[in-house]
Amino acid sequence: MNVSSRISAPGLPGGGASERPANAGDPLDPRRSPDLRADLGRGLVMPNPVGLASGTAGYGFELRQLMPLERLGALFTKGTTLHPRDGNPPPRVAEVRGGMLNSIGLQNPGVEHVAAEYAPQFARWAIPVVVNIAGGSLDEYVHCLAHLDTAPGISGYELNISCPNIANGLDFGRSPAAAGHLVAAARTQTPRHLMVKLSPNVTDIAAVARAVEEAGADSISAVNTYIGMKVHRGIRAPVLPGRGTGGLSGPVIKPLALAAVAQVRAAVRVPVVGIGGIINADDALEFLLAGADAVQVGTATFVNPTAALEILEGLVEMAIRQGARSLAQLGGR
Amino acid sequence: MSAAISDLSRVRDEAGEVLAVEALGGGLVEIAARLPHLAAQARPGEFAQLRCGAGIEPLLRRPFSVAWTDGERCGFVLEAVGVGTRILVALRPGDPLQALGPLGSGFSFEPTPARALVVSGGLGCAPFPLLIRELRRGGCPEVVVLNGAATASRLYPADRFQRGDRGVVVAEATEDGSRGHHGLVTDLVADRCDETTLVYGCGPNPMLAALAEVLLCVPRPPLRAEVSLEAPMGCGFGTCLGCALPVVADPSSWAGGEPAMADGDGAAIRSGRGSSTGRRPAAWALCCRQGPVMEVSRVAWPELLALPPAHIA
Repeated sequence: MNVSSRISAPGLPGGGASERPANAGDPLDPRRSPDLRADLGRGLVMPNPVGLASGTAGYGFELRQLMPLERLGALFTKGTTLHPRDGNPPPRVAEVRGGMLNSIGLQNPGVEHVAAEYAPQFARWAIPVVVNIAGGSLDEYVHCLAHLDTAPGISGYELNISCPNIANGLDFGRSPAAAGHLVAAARTQTPRHLMVKLSPNVTDIAAVARAVEEAGADSISAVNTYIGMKVHRGIRAPVLPGRGTGGLSGPVIKPLALAAVAQVRAAVRVPVVGIGGIINADDALEFLLAGADAVQVGTATFVNPTAALEILEGLVEMAIRQGARSLAQLGGR
Repeated sequence: MSAAISDLSRVRDEAGEVLAVEALGGGLVEIAARLPHLAAQARPGEFAQLRCGAGIEPLLRRPFSVAWTDGERCGFVLEAVGVGTRILVALRPGDPLQALGPLGSGFSFEPTPARALVVSGGLGCAPFPLLIRELRRGGCPEVVVLNGAATASRLYPADRFQRGDRGVVVAEATEDGSRGHHGLVTDLVADRCDETTLVYGCGPNPMLAALAEVLLCVPRPPLRAEVSLEAPMGCGFGTCLGCALPVVADPSSWAGGEPAMADGDGAAIRSGRGSSTGRRPAAWALCCRQGPVMEVSRVAWPELLALPPAHIA
């Protein structure tokens, strides 16, 4: 039986608790599966290269009711800030051809709640949980890390230095010096894995990548959303409120994201996690071939809550077909 | 009080099959599909996220109330107003239809009211055939449907609310006077409402706001009033946080700044206080989980009316 039929089985609870015995026809059967682990360093080992991207999976609680979340490579949480955030006024999402714009405004319950209420639950999950952290100042990032670092169940942090939907959210991501300064400060706060999520809305993403690597980042994820706008002809104004812009995601950004990942790959030695418009296993493979060590699936989850799992299944099948025994072989390196 | 949060444990992504696509007139289209899981699980007011074709245009699913269920079949009522709905109304019997559901928090109908007043505006008819059936099955002796539209051709047919049940009475209103009461459907509410009545509304935001205002002024206010709302939606299951609606801030839930609600797993769906302009603080609630059905008193109506219309395109 394949994953798709299993996850559509009636009454299947979230997580891996009810998994049936491995079956010879199951491409995820470890006895058949190639070793697709992605060791990103400093203790963050994704059991497979497909993660759920920040901002598309919440803190996992909804999706684990809809699919066996814990079979995936990692969960990257919603961007978490020092204080709770209410988010932006609606409308917050707008569909465009081949993608969508969002301006959620980092609605989240705040780091204390995540550390006290969510992290103990993460500790019971098989999937590595990486908490995405966002802030408007260096102090906010540092205090977030201080709160979280004593909490259990957290495999690492993804520093969001690039949220396009809050004031100042891009400042760190735009300047290599500022990004490096932030990462250096964060580095002193935690022994855990530190991933830095880069903004594509920059002139030279490679320069930012080099700066965060030099400052001590263990890995880099690329890319966050592209700044975009949708204009409503009826109201003769942008659909999204405020500045009218939002973060563009979905298949429409894939070629742009692939180019960014290749640039980052060429600029740094640390592992790179590719993100941007992945909706099937072919897309994921393209990111691996462009130099990514793992991928995150984002907007596709909105369309199909089991998308990431189907992408993983597809990658495993590809690896088996190609005789690849490792992720490096599958990615052609 | 805290609003309910939707139950995700019954949600499944189901590969169904279109059985019939019927033009009802005035642009309204009813789709019948074989979707056994949804048909068995959907409760009144809950919705499904329908894929519109298999490609990436449109990318996102579209949310539609489950209009009715019958054995393994479900019905949806919609109108072709955008790229997704145009694909749906062009479906033919035998075509696949992918439905994720049931989603959302539906109508409540406990305790069984002595009378139910169902107020529908245009496409707002969509959740009501199922609600009416469940009200009647639950023993509600009298269901009165007030069905309004711009013009007669856009009135959802009375017999589709009734489905052969003579205990369901339908009164109609049209803005152009082409059938029934000449005027707004909300004009018909006050005479039919008393303290034993449960009121259910669905329709365009201005109509629902008018309903809320009427209910504030009726001589005998109803036991409870609920409306089904819509918002531009990303996922439908609470992870994208895109479908925020303005609701009245609940001071009790804000003591200590704690998250307002949590589901069974402890996942907080936080109602945020809006930074907007209103005289009173508005909070955000997710249409897909804390809605689409909300108590009338919970909705921040001025803020809702200030939003651009949320067509399900």
